[in-house]
Amino acid sequence: MAKKTYDLLFKLLLIGDSGVGKTCILFRFSDDAFTSTFISTIGIDFKIKTVELRGKKIKLQIWDTAGQERFHTITTSYYRGAMGIMLVYDITNEKSFENIVKWLRNIDEHANEDVEKMILGNKCDMSDKRVVNKERGEAIAREHGIRFMETSAKSNINIERAFCELAEAILDKTSGRESAENPERVVIDRKNNDKAPGYNKCCA
Amino acid sequence: MTEESNFAAQIENDRNKLSVRCQFCNCLMLKANEGSYCEQEVDVPLMQQKQDRSAEALQTEKLRHFWLIKDMMTFENIGFSHTVDGRKFLVCADCERGPVGYHELASKFCYLALGRVVHGDK
Ligand SMILES: Nc1nc2c(ncn2[C@@H]2O[C@H](COP(=O)(O)OP(=O)(O)OP(=O)(O)O)[C@@H](O)[C@H]2O)c(=O)[nH]1
Ligand SMILES: [Mg+2]
Ligand SMILES: [Zn+2]
Repeated sequence: MAKKTYDLLFKLLLIGDSGVGKTCILFRFSDDAFTSTFISTIGIDFKIKTVELRGKKIKLQIWDTAGQERFHTITTSYYRGAMGIMLVYDITNEKSFENIVKWLRNIDEHANEDVEKMILGNKCDMSDKRVVNKERGEAIAREHGIRFMETSAKSNINIERAFCELAEAILDKTSGRESAENPERVVIDRKNNDKAPGYNKCCA
Repeated sequence: MTEESNFAAQIENDRNKLSVRCQFCNCLMLKANEGSYCEQEVDVPLMQQKQDRSAEALQTEKLRHFWLIKDMMTFENIGFSHTVDGRKFLVCADCERGPVGYHELASKFCYLALGRVVHGDK
């Protein structure tokens, strides 16, 4: 029988207007020659990443959302089980920023009440094309009491940090209930705790 | 990649003796002892498709040696492609190269090809 070798499992979703960069955030910005044509043609659905936060081993299951999804078509089934949502806009696209409010309303209507949210202003590498300044992003996040960060999938700025912060926020919420949720959790042998590259770095 | 002549050395009590890692970026995919060895003949798309535009068909090869992982959450780090004919293909979570194996929707099992990964604790 399979033992559980992790403490917690968090399901995370990436949501936002088409073209804001959700796919690039989850998948490396790879135009490098090694990328398999086969894989890039079919695309990636989700990833499992293991991080260690405050001595706990956490599995993140991160889902991209399909490009044609719009807030009015996303309903409860879509959000089922999601514990964290990355709400992404594009700092070079005013409309995508304005739609953040609509996305937030959609999440309120359909997602789990205590889902942890975070707003990402993506493409911050494109300063010459910026139309949404950072203060506006911060303001809307403050207004809704959620976290905010500017990111660049292209230049790999803040991507890993953002996932870690979101995971940490979920951890804060769940830590009180954790013993009840994981009665059979096994203790992890620290010596064998390989450091996965990537997300771990930012969580130290 | 792990050479076929070296497969037997990777198996201990029918399980993977060492950690399974990406052959390109060394990302940890599966910890030691988490996969069980299984043999079956399966067509898996090549990691590098030939850039011959005239050849429309997908190039595959028959693979025989796999680590079976029954619960996908057993993986440390792994990516899943979208579904093609009842399967999702497994790729490295960090560099996205692959497929290194596949996930069968019907059984929910994952199969990681020994020949497409490296084995080692570092
Ligand atoms: N400069 C820059 N371009 C980016 C960045 N992230 C994404 N892009 C570009 O923005 C475009 C859209 O990115 P995607 O990741 O496909 O957007 P998406 O949100 O997945 O869009 P849908 O799948 O249609 O919902 C692509 O051309 C990317 O190359 C970034 O951080 N900086
Ligand atoms: Mg996309
Ligand atoms: Zn890799």
